[in-house]
Amino acid sequence: MRKLVPVALAALVTLTAIGSIAPAQAPSNLVVQTGTEPPGLDLTATPASATAAVVLYNVQECLVKVDRHGKIAPWLAERWHTSDNRNYTFFLKHGVRFHNGRELKASDVKFAIERAMDPETKHPYPGYYAAIGDIIAKDDYTITFSLKEPNANFLLNMARQGSVIYPREAVDTLKTSPMGTGPFKVAEWVRGDRIVLARNPDYHVKGLPKLDRVTFRFIPDPNAALAALKAGDIDASIFGLGPEHVAELQKDARFTVTIGETTNDVIMAMNNSKKPYSDVRVRRAITYGINKPEVVKGAMFGFARVIGSNVDPLNPYFVDLAQAMPYEPAKAKQLLAEAGYPNGFETVLKVAPQYYYTVRTGEVIANQLQKVGVKVRIEQIEWGQWLSRVWKEADYDLTIIGHAEAWDISNYANPKYYFRYDSPKFQEIWKKSEVTVDDKARRELYVQMQKMQVEDAPVVFLYIHPRLVVAKKGVQGFWKDLPIPSADLAEVSWAK
Amino acid sequence: MVAVAATLLFVSALVFVVIRVLPGDPATLMFGTQGDPQAIARLREAMGLNRPLGVQYVDWLAHAVRGDFGVSIQYDVPVGSLIASRLPVTIPLTLLAAAFMVAAAVPLGLFAATHHRRAGDYFTMVISQIGIAVPAFWAGLLLILVFSVHLGWFRSGGFDGWGAGPWPGLRSLLLPAFALGFFQAAVLVRATRSAVLDVLREEYVRTARAKGVPELAVLAKHTLRNALIPIVTVAGIQLGQLIAGAIVLESVFALPGLGRLALGAIASRDLPVVQGVTLFVAGSIVIINFAVDLLYGLLDPRIRYE
Repeated sequence: MRKLVPVALAALVTLTAIGSIAPAQAPSNLVVQTGTEPPGLDLTATPASATAAVVLYNVQECLVKVDRHGKIAPWLAERWHTSDNRNYTFFLKHGVRFHNGRELKASDVKFAIERAMDPETKHPYPGYYAAIGDIIAKDDYTITFSLKEPNANFLLNMARQGSVIYPREAVDTLKTSPMGTGPFKVAEWVRGDRIVLARNPDYHVKGLPKLDRVTFRFIPDPNAALAALKAGDIDASIFGLGPEHVAELQKDARFTVTIGETTNDVIMAMNNSKKPYSDVRVRRAITYGINKPEVVKGAMFGFARVIGSNVDPLNPYFVDLAQAMPYEPAKAKQLLAEAGYPNGFETVLKVAPQYYYTVRTGEVIANQLQKVGVKVRIEQIEWGQWLSRVWKEADYDLTIIGHAEAWDISNYANPKYYFRYDSPKFQEIWKKSEVTVDDKARRELYVQMQKMQVEDAPVVFLYIHPRLVVAKKGVQGFWKDLPIPSADLAEVSWAK
Repeated sequence: MVAVAATLLFVSALVFVVIRVLPGDPATLMFGTQGDPQAIARLREAMGLNRPLGVQYVDWLAHAVRGDFGVSIQYDVPVGSLIASRLPVTIPLTLLAAAFMVAAAVPLGLFAATHHRRAGDYFTMVISQIGIAVPAFWAGLLLILVFSVHLGWFRSGGFDGWGAGPWPGLRSLLLPAFALGFFQAAVLVRATRSAVLDVLREEYVRTARAKGVPELAVLAKHTLRNALIPIVTVAGIQLGQLIAGAIVLESVFALPGLGRLALGAIASRDLPVVQGVTLFVAGSIVIINFAVDLLYGLLDPRIRYE
């Protein structure tokens, strides 16, 4: 036994030495960490942002693209034309090839979008295509969409994750190995561990992609992700680290920390159909009773932007209303008294700890609301239960969640949505905004809606969840902001 | 065999009911907060979730007895191949952890028993108490901090497979196996100590010592062998615990094993996968118990099975 111990130790030291002299990773490869594994890779079957992060713009692309600044840019279509905002003609780029080598034609676009419109395909966003009447492929490179009525979001919807173009012959493998025209092809998916993307040598944009291979590693635990970054097992973390890690990583010379904006507005929803929140005075009181900058400091370590409405700063119609209803506990108490609650009331806040920030934010808010007489009991529930009880059945008083989707003001025009906010006036303005194509007029409608959101306080608009990218020094080209839930890596490279 | 089949049937029915009773169905979870109610309803219909619970279970059972465990809702891959793809992580991890557990527990338990009520005994018991008290996930994070982040000896997480030889795989599994096995060893140390102490009080041990048999031979031949039955019993139970403990550590070390598969499947209500993994684990535990029963016969020839 005694003789065996040194032998075992020697073997261990030898083995570790062999491990530590493994060849260094080639600079054309990148390993990025992401917190959530996609629930399938078919963008036409799931709205999951985890799927979009990997597939959208990396593997599959659309006629147009939301660029890193949030602007709609020509992509598979090199230009488009409309004279009446009802008929849009797209002119496809020549020589764009799918990953199987076949050239993209107008008939492929027609097939993909008509499939998205077909209720039988179970597409997650049927509403995006509701305005489309006819799709006519005039020749191999020209396609016209005729709308039943003008739709202000038509081009945006054509750039979104549900509108990717893929070859009809690959439709059966979309969920496991999607094919498209993107800068990368899906090379391997080791379920539970990683997805590997390999360079598409025939990519239609010259000089892109800059990397040969990208590995998305799924590490759900933020502490494990931090350890992997520090141990050098991953080159970058794009979705997963929390704001609590920022200060430590900013001091570490080995890494670059990028903090940007997202479309993820974190709100505290109040059940508008239930007492006491059916009374607007109570909803306003709750808003006045919350010190948002303190919430950001306590829950997000200061790394988030306070908001006053649902429209995020990446939206061109954004109006900064963060100060519209500032922290005024005296006013909150007065409004509560007017509403018949001079001594406050007790309420339950349901949060899903899967999203760490909801619990932390809830704790800070519970403490603040206590000062105006509202006693908040926090109930943590599993995500599946949250979706079922809160989102589906509106069985809640208060809840906190981030809404990551861009241009989602329509949720406030839907009285059946879990906020149960039912304002005919708001619904009318929103309907008008959907069919108003003139930018100035539409902006005015959006300003009106944002102001109504302050007045009616259907929810408490708290802050924008920050985009946080931490990468090894030398990795460059990540998008700073996230106007669309895509981790577009085409321009990412290692500095020479 | 009948008992084994009844156990597996009971487990499968229980899991089926529990997963179905939990609020949230796979269609809702798949769409999250962005789901269109009509799209969710169509998906529910396509998944067959609108059928009565009993019909769904009988349908699943009819396929399962023919070896068809269905297709994963999340991954769109047959459950059997999904489970098979996770075994190269979970089986070596569990075996390595068991090896660490036995290698640490038996010598320490023996040492404690032979130093009964002396410093060595108390020291071992303190170590074992720490092992019982320390949660495996915390131990895992601590080990990552020391051996991956600071020393760089092992991988902090992830698994590259066995294709490139044994070392890359071992480099991923040694730390979680150590965290899992060493801390599970704490219970086995106590069981070993207690079993050895009982045997050491036997008259035949006293006789062997009186005859001048060397102490090492007394311990190995006369004591340990006779104390092995309770030790093997506890080790068998611990092996089942290791499989359960792997669920937590596979998450901490981001390993694509069976535990993490089960965890993800429960979160996304991927019932075919939950059923498949549960049956596999239940079946493994039944086999381990059977192996332990067989070992009794080898260890003590007086034990015979009809």
